[in-house]
Amino acid sequence: MTANTSHQSSLEAEIADLESRLRTARSRLNVSEAPSHSSPSQPVRRAQDEALHALLLLSDSALPLGSFAFSSGLESYLAHHKLQTSTSATSQAASFSIFLQLSLSTLAGTALPYVLAGYRHPEQAETLDNDFDASTPCTVARRASVAQGRALLTVWDRSFKAKYNQNNAVGENIAADSLTAFSKTIRSSDEVNAHYAPLWGLVTRALAVPLHDAAYLFLFSHARTITSAAVRASVMGPYQAQAVLAGSDLQQRINGLVEDGWNTPIEDAGQSVPVMDLWVGRHEKLYSRIFNS
Amino acid sequence: MPFTSPFAPSTATAGRGSIQLALLPPNTPVLRNVSYQYPLKLVAPDALPPPDHDSDANAPELVHTVFLLTYGGGIVAGDGIDLSVNLDQYTRLVLLTQGSTKIFKTPDPKLVSRQHMAVRLHLGSALVYLPDPVQPFAHTSFSQSQIYHLEDAQGSLCVCDWVTSGRSARGEDWDIYEYKSRNEVWSSGVNAKKRLLLRDNLILDKHGRTDMQLSARMDNHAVFGTLIIHGPAFASLSQYFLDEFEALPRIGGRNWGDTTQPDLNPKEQRRVDRQEQERANGLIWSAARVRGFVLVKFASREVEGSRHWLRDMISEEHSILNKFGERAVLCLK
Repeated sequence: MTANTSHQSSLEAEIADLESRLRTARSRLNVSEAPSHSSPSQPVRRAQDEALHALLLLSDSALPLGSFAFSSGLESYLAHHKLQTSTSATSQAASFSIFLQLSLSTLAGTALPYVLAGYRHPEQAETLDNDFDASTPCTVARRASVAQGRALLTVWDRSFKAKYNQNNAVGENIAADSLTAFSKTIRSSDEVNAHYAPLWGLVTRALAVPLHDAAYLFLFSHARTITSAAVRASVMGPYQAQAVLAGSDLQQRINGLVEDGWNTPIEDAGQSVPVMDLWVGRHEKLYSRIFNS
Repeated sequence: MPFTSPFAPSTATAGRGSIQLALLPPNTPVLRNVSYQYPLKLVAPDALPPPDHDSDANAPELVHTVFLLTYGGGIVAGDGIDLSVNLDQYTRLVLLTQGSTKIFKTPDPKLVSRQHMAVRLHLGSALVYLPDPVQPFAHTSFSQSQIYHLEDAQGSLCVCDWVTSGRSARGEDWDIYEYKSRNEVWSSGVNAKKRLLLRDNLILDKHGRTDMQLSARMDNHAVFGTLIIHGPAFASLSQYFLDEFEALPRIGGRNWGDTTQPDLNPKEQRRVDRQEQERANGLIWSAARVRGFVLVKFASREVEGSRHWLRDMISEEHSILNKFGERAVLCLK
């Protein structure tokens, strides 16, 4: 029940956030295209509505990716720190905020370049998938990434594909074509894994979400997943969690990370928080677990 | 008739080095070429027969060892080192350092010192590279890469890459500008497409992508390391790491006192002692099988903790000592 309301409210917060960003984007557009916009021009608006619609679909926490099962090392991090100090509620919240920072920069360092590359070069899906797999240092992280990647591919196949293919002839939407080809190879080849990050790039491209939004949402969803995990691991309450997500702190951080990683080639993707690999890798050694990672 | 020099063109570029280990049939490996330019220095002591030579028919008669040294025991700002290593079929090589690789202060954060090593391993060859850790002093910028090319994804590797927080005795605690270390393993063959098998890329920069100080990101660890193990020569070693990881006590588990401690055999007793030592040294580690590799990550509060742990693990398992001799773990002493 509480999980439901927290999902609901997280959703609402997200919608509010997206809407405000849409408004600012529109106002910027108004400034730059003031003359043509004096009478509302229909085509421009329709293009934006398309993207917004897709963005709302992808940001929905009801999107069946199974992200709720993963804490990306949070659970292990808490266990490692419980051993060192007896933690009170306030210090738990403080150490959570450190973890959130570290986890976001890890994701931005290791996965974001693959999101951007997947979006920009959907035709390289298989290489990206292989290279991401080669750069994933442990089974736990790999499991989490592949589970969500496959789920995303399934959502694409079963739910999104029909709508987005009907308007396009083959060859028009290269991301959609790559996704179709990719899900064909995954059934025949053992060497394809379907990692989440590159596929996120492909799917957002196919849905015509603007690149910056796709990258922003990728990091934001991660923050939401960890925060929601923190609520369920009783690190903080649902209102506190919403405050974290709503904070301008988080917004600035995500924007900064997207900006930093914007031009990072996948060869330079790497770990900036080495201890994160250990926390995630040692998740399997926890005595009790409620998450998959 | 134009004169063609019988000698290879000079490769006298500063910091450039080359090690070519060839196999003289039937199974005598020889160092065909060891060359180096200042500030790099290579020292190759006499090769020794491996202790297990009698028991293993495939083993070459000799195991070669090369020390990678730099003048002054470290890398000065702006230095560049570029080493290429080639192992012919069924050869074995041990690469060592002599003391930690010190990275000296740079006048300008943008002046990055570099070290690059490319190793080509042919079928059946094996490399052990267990160096001392890299020790970047405060205010340094350093970037290194170790690229391994395995012929048809074969070849055996046991390589370690570890870095410390600086001169802890002087209070240095990750006070560097920048440290990057990249380890990549590629599969390449005559017919096959070049394929990335493993990439381990560590990027530590002062501000990084978070607003956190480096030291705050390290969670009180003064050393981080990665051990990459691959191939038939190290099959038992990699299994050993996986087994020991599996045997680690559960984190957050408690002894309720309702189970009686079984009597331990000597091996189990050594394991318990080692785990006790891990706790005392604040050492945490993980091991995972990834795409045919075993990837081990470790960190500890102090350098010696990791050094002891690595030595204990490798000596307890013992196959490296059998196949490569005591020299292979010289840097862990």
